[in-house]
Amino acid sequence: MDIFTLAIWVGTLIFLVVSFAKDKGKTKKALKMALGMGKGMVVSILSIIFAIGLILTILPPMEIANFVSKQNVVLATVVAALFGTITLVPAFIAFPLVGTLVGAGVGIVPAVSFLTTLTMVGVVTIPLEKKTFGTKFTVVRNGLSFIFAIVIALVMGVLI
Amino acid sequence: MKILKKLRENIFLAIVVFIYVVLLIVRPEMGIASIKSSGYYIKEMLMIMPVIFILTALLDLWIPKEKIMQFLGEDSGIKGIVLSFVLGSISAGPVYAAFPMCIMLKKKGASIRNVVIILSSWAVIKIPMLINEAKFLGPRFMAVRWVLSVIAIIIFSWIANKIVRDEDLPKEEIVEKGLYVNSDACMGCSQCVKCYPELFELKNKKAVGKSHQNPDMRKLRNAIEACPVKAISYKE
Repeated sequence: MDIFTLAIWVGTLIFLVVSFAKDKGKTKKALKMALGMGKGMVVSILSIIFAIGLILTILPPMEIANFVSKQNVVLATVVAALFGTITLVPAFIAFPLVGTLVGAGVGIVPAVSFLTTLTMVGVVTIPLEKKTFGTKFTVVRNGLSFIFAIVIALVMGVLI
Repeated sequence: MKILKKLRENIFLAIVVFIYVVLLIVRPEMGIASIKSSGYYIKEMLMIMPVIFILTALLDLWIPKEKIMQFLGEDSGIKGIVLSFVLGSISAGPVYAAFPMCIMLKKKGASIRNVVIILSSWAVIKIPMLINEAKFLGPRFMAVRWVLSVIAIIIFSWIANKIVRDEDLPKEEIVEKGLYVNSDACMGCSQCVKCYPELFELKNKKAVGKSHQNPDMRKLRNAIEACPVKAISYKE
């Protein structure tokens, strides 16, 4: 286990011990809630992971990197952002995935725009958002998120 | 029938499994390569997922959401913005789980600007995730992206507030009398079942209310408050 994962485990375990000392009942409830959330999400997470495995075999990261590097940066960034909007992916899969892509040589700028829309904009959840907040709110929020995903990516390209 | 129903619920998984089976028959070496590269992500997931869920549940438990909610109105200013960021980045669950809670906040007087901040930070700046991001993409990457995301959210929530008016949001629905569980929001955490097992049960990983006569209001209120996504409502 690397230092980052270790740090978050140690921090959480300390938090857990303190929480347990302060309120046993509530802490037990929180642990059960964590377990329930995990169980509820595990099937959809596994499906996403196996789909990613499939896509990365058909389209190896090296080839994606090779292809992206030949394109105009702005165009590549917009297309990457578009791919990210297809579905919402939980962040703890999104990070290793983007890590793989960057490691294979995909530029930081398209990678960041992909990462941001991957977690923030989801075509799949738009009907639900529309039902809750109405069409105008949904269009404005998703539209602005998309535009700013690209802006964040381009600014990061200048800074890093 | 039961199998068909299960299949429809997990249609995405079914499609992925189907492609794997076909691939393993037609091009076995590609199928095996796919499983191997999936294995890497599963290993990463198993190392980080349990701790993320525990940490989010603990944060959810110790940060008093009800108190924060009072300070999110139109005139809440900088305090409202900061609190919205806090609320979004410590909360549990995927972003669609935030929709019902946010519409409830809106009804309680939160501004559109603060609602947009909560939704966006819920998606991109989860505090337990920052360490995970630093691991895969480097601490510098994480820090720069985090700062830029916060700035971007501040700007575009301001724009959204200018464009979207209160009248654009759906009118208050007439809620039927009795108990209602919003199944779109429910994450199946089973908190309500623990609080009031006689009234709630889990069906297909979602909470549903059983038929009842004169529920125990104290237990029911406990259950409503315990729900991390505020999916339960009751009207007498």
